[in-house]
Amino acid sequence: MRPTVAALLLAGVCAGALLAHRLVALSVLVAVLLVVCLRAGRRAKPYLWGTLSSAGFVFLLSPFLQSTGYHELWTGPRIPVLGTLDVTSEELHIAGLNALRLAAVGLAFAVYALLLDHDRLIAAATARRSVLAAALATRLVPTLERDARGLVEALRGRGLAPRGLHGHAALLSPLLAGSLERGLNLAEAMEARGFGRPGRTRLPAPPWRLPDAVGVAGAIAAVVAGALWL
Amino acid sequence: MALASLTRLSFSYPGGGLALDDVTLSVEPGEVLLLLGPSGSGKSTVLRAFAGLVPWFHGGRFEGRVEVAGRDTRHTRPAELAGTVATVFQDPEDQVVLGRVEAEVAFGLENVGTPPRAIARRVTDALEAVGAAHLSGRRVTELSGGELQRVCLASALALAPQLLLLDEPSSQLDPEGAAAFFEHALDTGAAVVLSEQHPALALPLADRVAFLERGRVLLDAPRDEALAWLEEHRPAWALEPRHRLLQGSEVGEVVCRVEDVTFAYADGPPAVDGVSLELRRGEIVALTGPNGSGKSTLAKLAAGLLEPQGGSVTRMGRASFLLQDPGRYLVRERAQDEVELGADPERARRAIADVGLTGYEERHPSDLSTGERERLALATVLVTEPDLLVLDEPTRGIDPERKAQLAELLCAQAQTRATLLVTHDRAFADSVADRVVSLAPEREVVRA
Repeated sequence: MRPTVAALLLAGVCAGALLAHRLVALSVLVAVLLVVCLRAGRRAKPYLWGTLSSAGFVFLLSPFLQSTGYHELWTGPRIPVLGTLDVTSEELHIAGLNALRLAAVGLAFAVYALLLDHDRLIAAATARRSVLAAALATRLVPTLERDARGLVEALRGRGLAPRGLHGHAALLSPLLAGSLERGLNLAEAMEARGFGRPGRTRLPAPPWRLPDAVGVAGAIAAVVAGALWL
Repeated sequence: MALASLTRLSFSYPGGGLALDDVTLSVEPGEVLLLLGPSGSGKSTVLRAFAGLVPWFHGGRFEGRVEVAGRDTRHTRPAELAGTVATVFQDPEDQVVLGRVEAEVAFGLENVGTPPRAIARRVTDALEAVGAAHLSGRRVTELSGGELQRVCLASALALAPQLLLLDEPSSQLDPEGAAAFFEHALDTGAAVVLSEQHPALALPLADRVAFLERGRVLLDAPRDEALAWLEEHRPAWALEPRHRLLQGSEVGEVVCRVEDVTFAYADGPPAVDGVSLELRRGEIVALTGPNGSGKSTLAKLAAGLLEPQGGSVTRMGRASFLLQDPGRYLVRERAQDEVELGADPERARRAIADVGLTGYEERHPSDLSTGERERLALATVLVTEPDLLVLDEPTRGIDPERKAQLAELLCAQAQTRATLLVTHDRAFADSVADRVVSLAPEREVVRA
């Protein structure tokens, strides 16, 4: 499947997940995306951690911030400003829906970042500069992760392993400075390689095949199903 | 007529002093011009001037004239010079734009408007020309430094440039890899301007040599004449040190014992398999071998940065480890603070003095040159006064004079610790090490 179609399919799945309102349907969608994401192996770890922890946070916190429903499952103390803390079955249902929607969008992005061929996506795009910027931004996550590992390793080599939140937070400034320097070097290299010059051409795209047509149909089906049935 | 020329060029980066001072240089078609000089002497700035990146990309104060293929770079953007000029920068990781090898090589061709049907063939030809056809289809993130450097060269050669600019391209390569790289690069018939810190590698390839210092050209002469000048005025640049600096050192107790260790990174084959090594106080051991032979992994196992999956590592005392490219991993905003992270202020000042950075204590590490940053990083491990000091490629990007100073420093302090050097630089290894241990299958462990 060509990467533009795969990206369209992922966008369709995201839209379908945002429109869906059945827990079972959303759970199946998240499970499918999770299985696809796991094909990336160890590289998927930071994406899974970020997505699933955010979804878990939404599920745990949002029932306390809502006042919906009549079927109380638990009543807690009264908190100034927030009022009485309680959890109803309706609030849990909504929290589950929102958490699963967030998980679906996060996992779809992870699949995009980890498994799509961004080079062919850029080659196919009309707005090449924007897509290139998006692809480079996507690459920022693994680059920062590698730089962070290097920083921690360098400090361990000096007998100074960073400990706790404060120790790790102190690495943010050098990480940011390092990524800015990398960005400048890359921009210089791109300029030297003719980026931005008028009259650019592109590698011919491969011919349209059956999986591409199936992918487009799947994207449309995901949106329609999410809006009408799921 | 010269293909490219700098005429009375003076240049300062924004907020900086003179990086180039009244420089006049020219390159004839097909000629190989070698730029030598210490760190910060202006070699990279000369390359940037030929590429038009100075002043277009960097800004700054620019006086004089630069012409490339008859075009004045004051009126021609670097992107318009692409194709006529191609550059391979020092660090391949900072110049790779796309994720897959073919797309990366095709990037420049697309930018300069190569007819679409010709792009795929030129990509294939360029990869074959640098001996990297087998990398086709691979993700660039999966490649070693040497493989990535070849892909960068293929990206440059695919453009069929008239002028090829190479900025210390051998810094990440083993000697065989560097020789192969130069062979491919010089085989094209393009004029080449090459900046190098390893004169022994590059001098035999050059038609002409320019020596820069503090932004000025001290020498611009044909190779043989330049060799005579270097031997007389800058002997460290003319010959690699062949004499041994460390004589009759006495070795003491075992500081680190590595026994039959095995280690594999996730999803990969063993990087180190059944290797044993003993390091004693007072000795300097050099670990050599080609790219990918497991040198850095073994060094990290010895220093305790990695845990062996098989076998055992025993250390007596404190170990310190200096990573490759350590200048990237400085975390404080003053040089003195950076070194003080590992010790008290007095020891920090001593360590800074040992690496020749006295007077730089208040500077921000990011404001130091690459070579200065590497020396500051060395001070951050020396200050810990380790029993085992492990240095991974400490001569990378260091000019011969600094290399000689590093060798003297290591030898002077050798008795206080065991030292393990991971290096591609065999001349350096031979000059400082008691033992050279090779991880290459064809070489035995050599005792000096």
